[in-house]
Amino acid sequence: MGGRVPSGRFTVDSWQKVRNLLPGFIIPALILIVWFFFSGSTLLPAPDLVIRILLHPSEDLLSCGSLLWNTGVSLIRVLLGLSIAILLGTPLGFMMGASQRFRQFTSVITELARPLSPIALLPLSIIIFKDTSFTEVLGLNHLKYTRHILNELQIGMVFILAWGGIFPVILETMHGVRGVRKVYIEAARVLGAGKLFIFKHVLLPASLPDIFAGYRMAVGRCWMVIIAAEMLPGTNSGIGYLLRYSYQLSRLDVMLACIFIIALIGLIFSRGLELAGEKWLLLRARER
Amino acid sequence: MAVSLTHLEKSYQDPSGKSFRVLGPIDLRIETGEFLCLLGPTGCGKTTLLRILSGLEQADSGKVSLGAGRFGYVFQQGALFPWMNVESNVMFPLKAKGMTGSECRSRAAEMLNHVGLYGFSKSFPHELSGGMQQRTALARGLVTEPELLLLDEPFASLDTRTGINLQEMLRAICGRLSTTVIYVTHSIEEAVYLADRIVVMGHSPGRIVRNESLNLKWPRSRLSSEFTEILLSFRQTFEKLVDPSATLSS
Repeated sequence: MGGRVPSGRFTVDSWQKVRNLLPGFIIPALILIVWFFFSGSTLLPAPDLVIRILLHPSEDLLSCGSLLWNTGVSLIRVLLGLSIAILLGTPLGFMMGASQRFRQFTSVITELARPLSPIALLPLSIIIFKDTSFTEVLGLNHLKYTRHILNELQIGMVFILAWGGIFPVILETMHGVRGVRKVYIEAARVLGAGKLFIFKHVLLPASLPDIFAGYRMAVGRCWMVIIAAEMLPGTNSGIGYLLRYSYQLSRLDVMLACIFIIALIGLIFSRGLELAGEKWLLLRARER
Repeated sequence: MAVSLTHLEKSYQDPSGKSFRVLGPIDLRIETGEFLCLLGPTGCGKTTLLRILSGLEQADSGKVSLGAGRFGYVFQQGALFPWMNVESNVMFPLKAKGMTGSECRSRAAEMLNHVGLYGFSKSFPHELSGGMQQRTALARGLVTEPELLLLDEPFASLDTRTGINLQEMLRAICGRLSTTVIYVTHSIEEAVYLADRIVVMGHSPGRIVRNESLNLKWPRSRLSSEFTEILLSFRQTFEKLVDPSATLSS
């Protein structure tokens, strides 16, 4: 129970934090300087061209829609695929962790399917799902020729994202449940708790840190998968598509802007979830 | 609540599949309101006996009769749930039995008062000292006011002074609630200080080698001559158990 220094908005502590972060910015700054001086004599566009694109994210690029729109499309695809992965993967992982018979029953298929890159399934998923989008699934045909996000959510895309995300979720959940110390379960039993009560108040909270770690891994994987998938046939929107299209038109300024956005969102995902995990008491479940 | 064990036996299998007996036939009766210490060296099966009593393990043969009623259990290392604060830990057995809301809270608060943890209800286990963690574990074991309390070396990991404080507290609370207590320990002094009756167990297989009611008045003093005399006699029994050829030089 460390005493907290009563704080104004900016305390000595936060200055210290900023100072600790500063050295990390030296290399990026150097790269920026080198890039600035050599951009004239190489293929690379000058940094200010890229920065201008980043500063005007809602302007149309290459007649493909804006940076914001394409980023949004990719993000919503990821969130959809991820939700499916989490909703299916968590209970599956729980059952595999709790029941040895179920684990044996599913072991071969999960071991085979897990190392399979979701991208390898893209052609197959296009054959199976064609380019069916959620507009058609939901029967909203009047939206079909408008610019609407539902038109961009192809079943095939969501399928491979769910595929990419589900295995980290399943495996981490399973490890979490199996790793719950036996003494907690025994303590709960002798204190009179029934099966459902133990599940809710012991198994679930004790494995939460691992489950959460699985979600973090899944987000990271899904973000990598969607960029690669959008560069392949099957869609004509999303930040990955914009990236590939800029290559076809040799627009390196757009390409670099896309790369920057992809990196930034990856960073926000991983750091953001890490901070969120720390904030919600999840780490309390760990023995200290 | 009287507890009786008749001809209890338990064997385990080692990894090679060979079966060995951890508990020989054990016959034991514990009277209502009695404070019984199960004393024995490590590996004599006293914890196994406790686990069978609590239903965590099944005996191979023999009969356990607990009478009817609630029992509480306190583990060696507390086994507090680290993701719950002190209050939630103590309320756990109440909630598990379907009790809710304010009654739960007030009974937990009352029990926390008894064990001297007033004001710590919102702390988490890792924020507490070892002694305070064991107080919490005691409160959790006692909050349902069980008729029988089972304790598995609850104070073994604490320093002597803290351990003695907690022993005194345990005796006082159990006396007030007239709880029947089975207290497993390997410390002779602890047993002689706490028990109405001491049952000494020997190993391979676990069996009862001495079963004796103590003739010591309360409050007990660790320095009185009766105390040291009894302590010495149990130490002799103990030494013979560990090394049958040993005799105490004095």
